[in-house]
Order: sequence, then C-alpha cells, then structure tokens
Amino acid sequence: MAWKFDKPLYSLADDSQNDAATHVWEGESLGGISEDNNRLPRPVIMLLGLTIVTAFLITFPLWGARPNAEIYAEYVQMMDSPAVQAISGDEAKMEYLVSNVKDTSLKSFQERHPLTMDDLRMIKDQVIELQGQGADLGEYSVIGAKVVLANFEGNLITDPVTGKTRPQAKQPWWDKGYTIDVFYVLYFCIAVLIVIKRLPHYSWKPDHSIAH
Amino acid sequence: MLKYLFKRNEDIPPGTAAVFFGFSSIMWFVIGTGLGSFNAAKLAFPDFVTGTELFSFGHMRQVHVLAVIFGWISMAFAMAMMYITPALGNTKLWSEKLGVWNCFLWNIGLSLGLTLLWFGISSGREYSDFPWFIDLYIAAFIALPMAFNVWMTIITRRTQGIYTTNWFFGAGVFMVTIVFIVGNSPEWFNLTGLSEAYMTWWFAHNVLGLWITPIAAAIAYYTVPKVTGNPLYSHRIGHLHFWSVVVFYSTPAAHHLMSAPLPEWLKSFASVEGVLILVPAIAFVSNLLLTMTGKWHMFVENVEIKFTITGVMMAIPLNMQGGFQQTRAINWYVHGTGWIVAHAHLALLGFSTFLEGAAVYYGLQTLLRRKLYSLALANFHFWFLLIGFSIYWISMTIAGLIQGAGKIYEVPYIDVVIAEHPYMIARWIGGTMVFTGNVVWLYNMYMTAKAGTEIPEGRLPHELAYER
Amino acid sequence: MAFREYKIGARLFGVALGGSMLITLYMPTVDMTSVAVTETGLTKQLSYGRIGGFSYEDPFLRGEGKPKTVTLTKDPSTNADMEAVQAFVYEPGIPFPSGINHPRTLGPGVTEVSLDKGRIGEADDTAGAVFLIRRGTHQGETLHYIENATATRGWKYDQVLNAGGDANTAYVGSGKIMFVREGCWWCHTLLPEQTQDWQYFGIPPRLGDYNGESPTAFGSDRKAPDLLHVGSRNSSKEWMMMHFFNPRLVQPHSIMPRYDYLWGDKDAEGKAIDFDGWRAAYNDYAAGETLTPPDVPSYASNSEIRYLMDFILSLK
Repeated sequence: MAWKFDKPLYSLADDSQNDAATHVWEGESLGGISEDNNRLPRPVIMLLGLTIVTAFLITFPLWGARPNAEIYAEYVQMMDSPAVQAISGDEAKMEYLVSNVKDTSLKSFQERHPLTMDDLRMIKDQVIELQGQGADLGEYSVIGAKVVLANFEGNLITDPVTGKTRPQAKQPWWDKGYTIDVFYVLYFCIAVLIVIKRLPHYSWKPDHSIAH
Repeated sequence: MLKYLFKRNEDIPPGTAAVFFGFSSIMWFVIGTGLGSFNAAKLAFPDFVTGTELFSFGHMRQVHVLAVIFGWISMAFAMAMMYITPALGNTKLWSEKLGVWNCFLWNIGLSLGLTLLWFGISSGREYSDFPWFIDLYIAAFIALPMAFNVWMTIITRRTQGIYTTNWFFGAGVFMVTIVFIVGNSPEWFNLTGLSEAYMTWWFAHNVLGLWITPIAAAIAYYTVPKVTGNPLYSHRIGHLHFWSVVVFYSTPAAHHLMSAPLPEWLKSFASVEGVLILVPAIAFVSNLLLTMTGKWHMFVENVEIKFTITGVMMAIPLNMQGGFQQTRAINWYVHGTGWIVAHAHLALLGFSTFLEGAAVYYGLQTLLRRKLYSLALANFHFWFLLIGFSIYWISMTIAGLIQGAGKIYEVPYIDVVIAEHPYMIARWIGGTMVFTGNVVWLYNMYMTAKAGTEIPEGRLPHELAYER
Repeated sequence: MAFREYKIGARLFGVALGGSMLITLYMPTVDMTSVAVTETGLTKQLSYGRIGGFSYEDPFLRGEGKPKTVTLTKDPSTNADMEAVQAFVYEPGIPFPSGINHPRTLGPGVTEVSLDKGRIGEADDTAGAVFLIRRGTHQGETLHYIENATATRGWKYDQVLNAGGDANTAYVGSGKIMFVREGCWWCHTLLPEQTQDWQYFGIPPRLGDYNGESPTAFGSDRKAPDLLHVGSRNSSKEWMMMHFFNPRLVQPHSIMPRYDYLWGDKDAEGKAIDFDGWRAAYNDYAAGETLTPPDVPSYASNSEIRYLMDFILSLK
C-alpha cells in the first residue's frame, strides 16, 4: 500500500497503484454495469458545505425556544406603576402593558402566550421573589398559577439560589453535543477525502468498451 | 413454493427464492395498504365498523405499519438482494434453498407476529411492537439467513470488484441485524425507563436510516444503470453516499424525542447530525440523476425508470423535510402532528416504495423470462400510487400544520379535530387509491407469470416493452 | 484504503458504526441511568408492576399479575386513623417492578435509603408485599424512597386490601395494560411537549419520572389530547364512563372509537348487557327520534373498563 503525499489534493496513491486500479476498473463487467470516475460536481460540493454550516446554525436555540418566566418579567415590573394604576379595567391595563414593553426581543413569545391581569397577579410575588434571590428567570416556566423550574437537562451549573450543582434548565447555545458534532464531521470529511483521493484522479475516464 | 423446500439445492432453479419473495412482497403490500385504507376510514368516520375489539383502530394501526415495513418493504428488499447480489457478482445465489426457506419462514413468522399484534399482544413499544419471542424469531429466521445468503454470495462472487449496490446490501443486512438485536434488547433484558424509550427510537430511527433508506438507494444504483445502459455517473460519489449513510444516518435517533426529557447535549448532537442526513441524500440524488444523462426519454417510456426516478426525486423533499423538521427551530411546531405522518409516508410509500416497485417489476420479468403482461396496467398502477400518495401527503401535511397551529395557540383540541375532518377524508381517498393500484399490480404480475410473452435469450425485458 | 481494498474498508466500516453506537447508545445511557427517581417515577413503577406489555404473568394482556393501588385512611393493623396514604399491594406471586428487583435503577440516594430505611431488600414476591412511598433525606438531599411496609410495619397484603375495600382500590397496573393493548397511545400521547404544551396539558415530565417504567408508551402521533395529567383536568367517573362507552355521547365531534366491548358481558348487577338494544336506542337518538340517549350500563368491578378508568384517573 503505497502513499504519495506530494500533491495530496490531487492524489494520495502512486502511479503503479493507479495503473493497477484502472486496469481492474476497465477490465471487468459487474453484472453488465460499469462505473464512471466523474468528480463531485462543484455545485454539489458547495451544497455539502452549505449543509454542514446550516446544520450547526439551525440547531441553535434561535426559534422554537421554550417560553419561560422571563417573558412576563417586564409586565410584573410595570404592573404597579402609577401609569398602570391610573387605568381602569383589567383588559385596558393589560393592553397598556403589552404595548409598552421596552424589551422587544421577547415580543413574539408575549404574543403567543398572552395572559390576563389575574394571571399576572398570581405569579407576581413568585417572580419578584425569584428576582430577589438572583435566579435566572429564563430557567423557570409558568404553569398556571405557579412559577417552577423548567425541566431541561442542560449543562451542569451552580444554582444561584441554593448553590448546588444541577443541570441548567435552559436550551444550551453550546454543549458537549455540539463539540462531538464538530469532531465527528471533521473525521468524516478527512476519512472521505482520503478514500476518494486514493482513487485514480477524476481526469482519468474509464473506457467501457474493454469489458463490455 | 412448498415443493422446493425439501429439494436439493442444485435442483432448485436459480431465481426461485427471488420470485417467491417478489410475489410475497406484493401480497403483503396489498394487505398492508388495505389495512391502511381501512384504518383511514375509521379516522374519517369513527363509527365505521365500531364496537368490536378486533376491528378497533387501536388493534389495527400497528398491523398496518408492520405489515408494510416487514412484509412489503423488507421482503421486496430481500427479493432485490436475492437476484441483484448474484447478478453483480456474475454468479448464482449462494444457496437457493436457504433463500426459499428464508421466504417461507418469513411469511409464517410475520403472519404469526401480526396476528398476535392484532389481538393486542404487543410489547407496547412503537415499531418494535412485536413481543420478544417474535423478535427472536425475526432475528434467527428472517434477518440472519438473509444476511448470511447475501454475504456468502458476495464472498463467492466471480469478480474482483464489488459494485456499489452490493456494498449497501452487504453492510445493510449487517446493520439491520445489529440494530434489530440491540434495539430489541430492552425486552429481553427488561430494561426500563427513559433508556428503554430512547432505545425504542434508536431502533425506529436506525431501521429507517440503515436499512430502508440505503437499501432502497442501492436498488436504484442497480436499476438505473442496468435499464438505461449508462455507466454509473461516479464511483466517487458512491463512496461519499455510502460512508455518509453509515456515519450520519446512524446517529440522530434522539431527534425523535426532542420534546422528551433526554439530556440536552444528546438532542444538540442528534439535531446537527439530523441535518447532515442531507449529505447522503445529495450524493444519492445527484449521482442517480446524472447517470440518466442522455436517457431522459426513458423516464416517460420505461416503467422501471419511471418508478425509480420518481422515487429518487421524492428523496429531495423527503430529506429536506427529514433534515429540518427535527431541529429545535421547527420540531416544536410539527412534532406529533400529521405532518410527521405525511413525512413517514413520503419515506415509505413515496421514496422507498417507488424504488422497490421498480426492482420487483424488473426482477420478476427477468427471472420469469416473461414480458410484462400489460404495460397499460403498470402505468395505471404507477399513476394510482403517485396520485393516491400525493393526495395522502398533501392532506396530512395540511392537517399537520393545523394541528401545529392548534398546539401553539392553545386551541381546544376538539376544534383541531373538527378542522382536520376534511383532510381525514382526503387521506382515506388517497390511501384507497394506493390500495386499488396494488390490487391491479398483483393481478398484472400474476398474469405476467401465467401468460406473459416469453423473453428470448440475450434480450432484456425493457427492450421488448413496445414490441408485440 | 485504495480502489477496491475491501479489508480496510470493512475495518473502517466497523470503526464508523462502533463510534456511532458509542456516542448514541453508551454515552446517553450513562447519563440517563445516573438520575435519581422522582416521586412520580416511584408511583408509576409501584402501581404498574413489572412490565406493561407482553409478559410471562400476562401473556394475553388481560391485566393479570399486576399490583393494586389502595388508598388507606386507617392503619390496617391497628385500625387507628391516619393521614391518607397510597399503598401498593403485591399479592403473592405478583412480580415486583424493576426498582425492587434491581434497586440500583432507582438512582443515587434513593437506592441507599430504600434499602436501609425502606428495607426493600427483604421483600419476597412469593409471600406478597405492601409498599409505600416516603419522604426522606440522604446526605442532606430530600428525596422520595420506597418503604416495604410488610417489613417495617408488619402490614400484610390481605389486611391492606380488606382495610381499603373495593371502593378505595384502583387497578392502575391492569389499566396500563388496557391502555397498551387497546392502542390508546396511538392517538393520545403521554408526553406534554417541552416547548408548547405546558399551559394546556400540564407540566412536561422530568428525566427521573421514568426509572423502572416499561413501556413508557409516549406515543408519537397525537390525534387526540395528551393524557399525562388528564386525571387533574377531569376526574369525573360518570363523564369517563359515557365517553368510553360512546365518545359521541359527550363530545359529538370526537373521532375516538367506542370502547363498549370493555364492559364485558355483564353489568355491575350481573345482568347481561344488551348491546344491540343499546345501539338501536342510540341510533334512534342520533337520528333525532328520541330526545335522550340510552343510559350507559354500569360496569362490573372486575371489568376491563374499570381497570382502564382506574389507570386514566391515576394520571394526575
């Protein structure tokens, strides 16, 4: 098994090996089927690169992230302000809250998960207490009248409230799954590159008239 | 079939096993799609055949699923292997007798297993529903004999090379055996909890990824060059396809449980790998479509190519869906809805069925040395499958989007049920068309064996398609 | 590897497949088996018994060989009043669930406390046993563990069954079998999704909610409401009864099949149920000829519908 490393992207096999390979390639018919030695078309290579990049980008928690208590934090902060107190009627109050939110990054969540003033009053104290303890509201879910720690099995972190080690209850931006992926893809690309570069170079076209 | 079971191997005509497998698979396809149509009727009209245990939806759904997977798809694969593997090695099947026994025991075991499931005797694990003794039977009398026959045929080949199709066949039977045994091990060892749930989906995912998808693709690698007479476009792309199936398709099992409490890192990993199933898909589709260069008229004229290329082209939407619907960004919307049901049918009834259909058409004609009884009926079959499937896929995709919207906007569930009703009726109509097409197919193939014009030595069946 | 070097190719194939299985099977299993079971997980495995699909003790999935869940308000041995507890009664010959047979599967902490304080190692399935779920601590952590009440309090299985009586006994384990056999999970999932379902179908499950349960019957294709917390949403037996007998009685647009055959032949008084008569009367009602639908027959205390309803109502 001879290797040649002078032009790795051209070929990794030496001439005698390539001669032997082309000889068998042209010399036999596999059930009446022959194979060509065309290269991967350039658009296909680009498509593959695009696929690999997209694979990572699209799995980050940009969309479809789970709604959490954070989306109501600003409502809670505003609900007792004089401006809100002055409004009469719960529906009008809620409307004011929704339209006066400053942090627009959570807007789509707030639209999808509307709540009433009564709902807000039920979770108000719990949200304020958690904020006071320094908890990350993004890790909490609002289930009916309760604000509870969400059940994600994320990266291990130290709980800011109890000081214990526990899995983070949030979708991760990066974890060991992604790390494994990076190496996995890398190994695959290297292995396939070697396999393909050990074949006769794609400029060589087999003559199918020999065996057929 | 019975008369060959106790004959000496040399006295069994070559191709017997493949012919038996071929007809068995068509038979199971008729049964499986018939059950599918029946089940769809129950979803559209809940009081259709009601109040009896054996004909309730919950007793029949899994019989439909496993009849098409183990009966139609896998038996059509076995049929293809029994004639393509030896053909590509310029040799005969290693043991025709083993093949015949394999087919016989397969039919017996599957009938028994499906009967038990029908009575509700199930392990309660989706796709590995069979109780463990049926699993053992499948491993010992269905998977291993088939694998052994394929391996021995490849080993005793009379060529130096192994063609791409046979890489997939040899590796596929190995992988499906491993996946089947490991995936069903929770039942044998009474593993419980989330590990069991995860293993269930590890099995369900890998049986698709390492068996159904690559073997169907391998069949196309044979059919297209064989029937068109073109050389395969690229040996190198074949490498890319093969290795990316093994590497990328075997890993995303956890993406079936994106909303379950699995470790998050596993979901991150599986999700990226899940998008990367587009790598083998791109390799496969580009290789096959480029092989067609100069022979596109056969897409219209030739029934095998018509089936195969339709199947190959369905791999494009199939993998675009499959790659992206499992990511966190999209899965939250479509998970557990009719969208997924449509996707599953695109994989099994669209992509893979069309590729195998071609193999069964081509194989039966070649082995029986008889021309297709009626090209018109074959075209009828093609169009009924394609239109029936399209109605099914479109209606279920719409139903799935309705369900997804209902889920996100927290609509009372019954309103979703009401909104889905017309699509449930459409699904039933589509399924019934597929069933009708298959009945016609069974008749056509039966008549081919009985009354088809004999194919003279040295000619290929598709060359004679338009000759009288 | 060069052109047609199949030996190296085969080895590379082995490495690729083995690597894939290492990452997707071995690594997650290590994580998932190192989680301590929650109270929900303990309740599920103790009330469901060893296995929920095909098994030696129940080959035809009739709900045989399963424990009973008894709600006690009196101490069965002293007859003194006490706070209500759920006791999981395993009569002689009923196989124990995974957590009793293999305490390691309960997860760190729970295993130790269940063995030391709960004395589950002394339980013997040939003699029958009664289990309770208790709250305790292990190295400063609060957790729930299993107590073998037959060893710690001398409660015999028959005492507990008598003390509870039929009204306080739930055939939850047998009902899970019905749920699997009748294919309820083909349409009703048991898995509220992490992203969207929490307001409508309740809190999604946790990693430790499943230790010892088999099968989990999540379902994958939701054509009907999620049922993981259905018992909290609707605990009316009357509604359930009508809904199972003919879903269209309570929900005209439902596409659920009728489960009237789970009533068996006889009703609660031992009289034969006239299904044909009922259907004829119902058809009249559906056609608008009568104003009220016929009454749903009562069910016998050992009927399959009772099992199934006990299971559904246990899903809190």
